[in-house]
Amino acid sequence: MRQATESNEFRRDLVSLLPKLRRFAMTLTRNAADADDLVQEACERAITRSHLWNGEGRLESWIYAMTRNLWIDEIRKRKVRTGGGTVDVADQDELTIEPSGEKAVYASQLQKMILSMPEGLASVFVLVNVEGHSYRETATILNIPIGTVMSRLSTARIRLAAMISETTERRA
Amino acid sequence: MQNTKGLSLEIRLSAYLDGEVTDAEHRELEELVARDEEARRLFEQLQAGNAFGNKAFEDFLHDPVPLSLVRRIKQGTPTNPKAERVTTADPIRHRTRLWPRTLAASVVLLLVGGSTGYILGMVNSQSEQNQQVAAARSWLDDIAEYHRVYSRQETHLVEVPASQGDAAIINWLASSVGVNFNRPDLAAQGLTFEGGRLLVAAGKPVAQLMYRNAEGDVFAICFLKSESKGEQGKLAESMRDDLAMVSWQKSGASYVVIGPSADAKLRDLAETVATEI
Repeated sequence: MRQATESNEFRRDLVSLLPKLRRFAMTLTRNAADADDLVQEACERAITRSHLWNGEGRLESWIYAMTRNLWIDEIRKRKVRTGGGTVDVADQDELTIEPSGEKAVYASQLQKMILSMPEGLASVFVLVNVEGHSYRETATILNIPIGTVMSRLSTARIRLAAMISETTERRA
Repeated sequence: MQNTKGLSLEIRLSAYLDGEVTDAEHRELEELVARDEEARRLFEQLQAGNAFGNKAFEDFLHDPVPLSLVRRIKQGTPTNPKAERVTTADPIRHRTRLWPRTLAASVVLLLVGGSTGYILGMVNSQSEQNQQVAAARSWLDDIAEYHRVYSRQETHLVEVPASQGDAAIINWLASSVGVNFNRPDLAAQGLTFEGGRLLVAAGKPVAQLMYRNAEGDVFAICFLKSESKGEQGKLAESMRDDLAMVSWQKSGASYVVIGPSADAKLRDLAETVATEI
C-alpha cells in the first residue's frame, strides 16, 4: 500500500514537471514531435526507476539527466551528428538537426528562432538562466565540463541578444 | 565559484552576471565594466540576451502538454486503472435469488413439460446478465458524461447560478440529495464558483457544484448519499479519457472532484474540497 502511495505521488510530481520537462526536451530535440516522444520515453523510464530516486536534490535534475542520456542514445541511433561529437557545438556553423517547420506545430516563430541556435546552447541557457541551476548542476545534468557550460552560456546570451534586433527588423 | 582568468571577456562577464566568479574576480570585473566602454557594451549585450531568452523560454511553458502523456503517467502501465476506481458508490445491486425461480421452473417443468422450462431458464439467464452489465457501470461514469456535456456550456453552465447566493443553493441541493455540506471556497486555487446543478447518477440524486478557472476550464464537485463502507476519507484517482476524477467517501456520502486530466493539481484540489465541504 505504501509503495502504491509513493508511486502515485511520484507520478503526480512527474505530471507537475511536464511543462518544464517538455521545454527542456525541446532544447535538446529542437522540434515538438521529437520532444514529445522523448518526454514520453523519459517519463516511462523515470516511473520504472522511481525506486532509485532518493528524494535528495531536485527531481527535475534527475529526470533531465535521464532525458539527456536518452536523447544522446537516440542521436547515436540516427547517426545524424556531424563532427564525430568532438567539436564543440558552439563552434559549429551549421545545425546538425534542422528544426522542421511542419513538425514544430506548437512552436511560435520566436520559439523556432530560439531553437535554431546551435545544439547545446539552449539547454544550458534554460538550465542556468531560466531555471536557476548552478554551473555545476548543469554540467552534471548535461554530462559536460563546467568550462563548456560557461562557453555555451555566453555564446547563447550573445546570440539571443542578436535576435532582438532580428525580431525588431521582422516586425518592421 | 569559478576561476575565469585566462578565458575570453564574454565568458568572464557571463559568469560574473551569474555570480559564479570568486570575490576577487567579481571586484575586478565590476571595476572593468565601470571604466571600460567596450566591456560595458558587452555586459549590456549579455544582459539583453538574458532578458530576451527568459521571456521567450517562459512562453514554452504555455504549450499544451499531450493529454495522452499525462494519462499514461498518471495511470502508469503496471497499474490496473480499475483497481484505483471507487466502486463503493455503485448502484445498489438487486441480486436475484435464483434458486426459488429454479424451483418454480422445475415445478413448471413438471407441469407443462421440458420445452417451457428451457425457455424460462433462458429468460432468467438473460435477465441476470443485463443486471450485471448495469451494475458494472458506476456513478462516476455518469458524472464523467454529464461533465463532458455541461462543461462545454458557455451560457448555461449551471442550473442555479452563484448569484442566487450560497444559502439558496445549499438548501436546495442538501434537501434534494440528503447530504448536508458547506460550499467550498476555492478562490485561493484560482477557481470561481459558478453555481450548482442537480443530476441523477446511478438512479440517485447527485449535487453538483461548478467552478471555472481563469483559462475557462470547468471543475465540478459532485456528491450523493451512499452507504458507509470501505475506507473513509481515502482519495482515489481515476481517469475517463480527457477527464480526471478524485473520489472519496465520508460520513454516508460519496464525493468526487472532476476536471481536465491535464490539470496536475486536481488531487490537491480534492484534498482542499474534502476538508472544506
